[in-house]
Amino acid sequence: MTDLLHHARVSRGQFLRMMGGLAAATLATTACSTRPETTATTGGGGATTELKFIGVADQKTPMDELVAAYAKATPTVRVTASYAPTDQVQTSLRTQLGAGNAPDLHVVYPGNGSAMSMTQIAQAGLLADLSAQAWTQTIPAGFKPAFQLDGKTYLYSAGSSVIGAVYNKKVFQQAGIDAPPTTWSEFLAVCDKLKKAGVTPIALGAQTPWVTQLITYALVPSTVYAKDPTFDDKQLAGQASFADSGWRQAMEMYLELQKRGFFNDKPNGTTFEQQTSMVATGKAAMAVQVSAVLPDFRKAASSPDGLSMFPLPGADDANQVWIPAGVVVGLGASAKGRNAEQAKAFIDFLGRQENINAWAKAIAAIPLTQDAGSTIDPAVQSFLPFTKDRAVPFMDQRWPNAEVQPVHFAVVQELLAGDSTIDEALKKMDEAYRK
Amino acid sequence: MTPVTAGRARPAHVRRRRRFSAAAPSWLFAAPALAVYALIVLYPAVAGVIYAFTDWSGIGRDMSFVGLANFRTLLGDEQAMGSIGNTLLLTVAIVVVQNGVGLLLALGVHVKLKSRALLRVVFFAPVVVSPVMVAFLWKYIYNPDPTAGLNGLLGLEVDWLGDPSIALWSIAGMVVWQNAGYSMVIFLAGLEGVPRELHEAAMIDGAGTWQRFRYVTWPLLAPALTINLMLSTIGGLKLFDQVFAATNGGPGYATETLSTVLYKQAFVFGKFGYSTAVALVLALFVAAVSLIQVYYLRSREVTA
Repeated sequence: MTDLLHHARVSRGQFLRMMGGLAAATLATTACSTRPETTATTGGGGATTELKFIGVADQKTPMDELVAAYAKATPTVRVTASYAPTDQVQTSLRTQLGAGNAPDLHVVYPGNGSAMSMTQIAQAGLLADLSAQAWTQTIPAGFKPAFQLDGKTYLYSAGSSVIGAVYNKKVFQQAGIDAPPTTWSEFLAVCDKLKKAGVTPIALGAQTPWVTQLITYALVPSTVYAKDPTFDDKQLAGQASFADSGWRQAMEMYLELQKRGFFNDKPNGTTFEQQTSMVATGKAAMAVQVSAVLPDFRKAASSPDGLSMFPLPGADDANQVWIPAGVVVGLGASAKGRNAEQAKAFIDFLGRQENINAWAKAIAAIPLTQDAGSTIDPAVQSFLPFTKDRAVPFMDQRWPNAEVQPVHFAVVQELLAGDSTIDEALKKMDEAYRK
Repeated sequence: MTPVTAGRARPAHVRRRRRFSAAAPSWLFAAPALAVYALIVLYPAVAGVIYAFTDWSGIGRDMSFVGLANFRTLLGDEQAMGSIGNTLLLTVAIVVVQNGVGLLLALGVHVKLKSRALLRVVFFAPVVVSPVMVAFLWKYIYNPDPTAGLNGLLGLEVDWLGDPSIALWSIAGMVVWQNAGYSMVIFLAGLEGVPRELHEAAMIDGAGTWQRFRYVTWPLLAPALTINLMLSTIGGLKLFDQVFAATNGGPGYATETLSTVLYKQAFVFGKFGYSTAVALVLALFVAAVSLIQVYYLRSREVTA
């Protein structure tokens, strides 16, 4: 009912207009979207190139800082950036890309598995090849699938984030917990203690779709990849499935947390914002989250230092605990833009070690490559021992299409609502995987 | 005098018109408007229909014609089929409740109250609020916390948007809240059009309030009812904004409508061709339902 007021007037054109709805939307967006960037002459007499960047909200803090630094270093190029939430950026960017009217630089998600992911857009020939840039030589081998397609680098990203439990130190202390748990049974015991102390052990905002996936993602490295690091390859080859793997165990553990009453009431009616504030204010002790949103938790807390993170232990043997460490959302340059060279030069600038450090610091990420100037957020220090050989990329980065992830969101909500079984849920995910 | 003049004038008039139409066909006057219409309505519409028969991803140049494959996929698409059920349930709920409430509000503010101008504004106010804004507002009202929002007010413990068996009706509720005022305005216009004499005549015949409503007002409200039913049906079938902002089709697939499915297919799954096919089916469906509705409702209209 977007335009009830209009309905009164239209009846004749309604039918045709609805058929043309999508096409008209494309046309309209094209018409009002950015024109190809023009070179404008500034008062100083030199020609200034204007590069347009469209990003997601998560990128605002680091980009603002680095765009300002770039303006100082390269006065002839000006980067103008605009940001939008994930859903909206996917819609508007895909429309612009479809119309052949892409901005010079734009957000790109690592790997495959979402509509704006590196593989999907590079396959359409819309991303500039960055392989000639020096920083691309230092991408760690394990991260290459996130950055590269057929051996060519199409994505810039400053580093990785991890998924684990964000916890309120004070609440832990008050419940008499001295150290974060390192095995699954210890974790359950900690939750029990917290529950007895009268706080919600784990805040879960499952109404916000992407939040639903985090607990499975935190557990699956231990239940699947610790046993078989080549699981992704086997799954792609059709030799493994969600249903016949440790995914089942991870889902069972997820539901066990709910059965034991460790989540807040009605997680399906609770949003990410509510989840954040519950932990920040001490109403809940922890939330399983990605480290990239730590700044959100800190903003909501009265003392930002009161929050920290620990790896969620998905196994009963501490040596079998693996963690998810994913490349953070990055950006790419439009292959067809008029200013492709300048856009690539800006990415080259972002690839300098000091700029990788600055970006990573702003979003509490682990820098892609590290030097003496790299700072690592104290909250994610406890993850560092894992990053070398007991970490796997976020699961969706190697999924073959953009449908598995939304199906995962939906089945988790159904499971939490008691509307489905683990069998049905995994079957749906396998079906989406094979599409 | 007049008939004579008219008799003389007529042949001249006809001749003149004939001569003129030979010089310039009358449709030429509509040509500029038609050209604009063709460019901004017909062209995109036809172009959109073409995509429905392709496998275009929405970006890039790769596209091939796949015939009716998209429509066959739709028939076997469990999720899309489920969303048709949701869409119909939502539409029926919205049409019945919105028009019922709208009619009651209209009858209420039609009587001569001192505050009626104010009340009309108050009841109409939600209509002018953006649907997305309404969804965000109602997310607070539907807070699952027993001490907050509607739960706190009514002493309930309902998970309005998180419980799959309730979520659809919660959305219907917020849509009705927003649009009942719109139905009210149309009914009100109908009420204002009922001639006072008919009521007076009925009163002289000894008709009570209910009888006057049933036999005088109600039949004369038929045109207003026709337009209200049609608008709310179309609105219900196309419902998108509130669902998208409030639940994004969840929990699970409990509130997925045809519009959210086609949005997700195009922008989340990157299946623009298939999405256009869904849009085409939705458009034909809405057109068919409205035509049947108008045909039936018009036939029972009376005039004062």
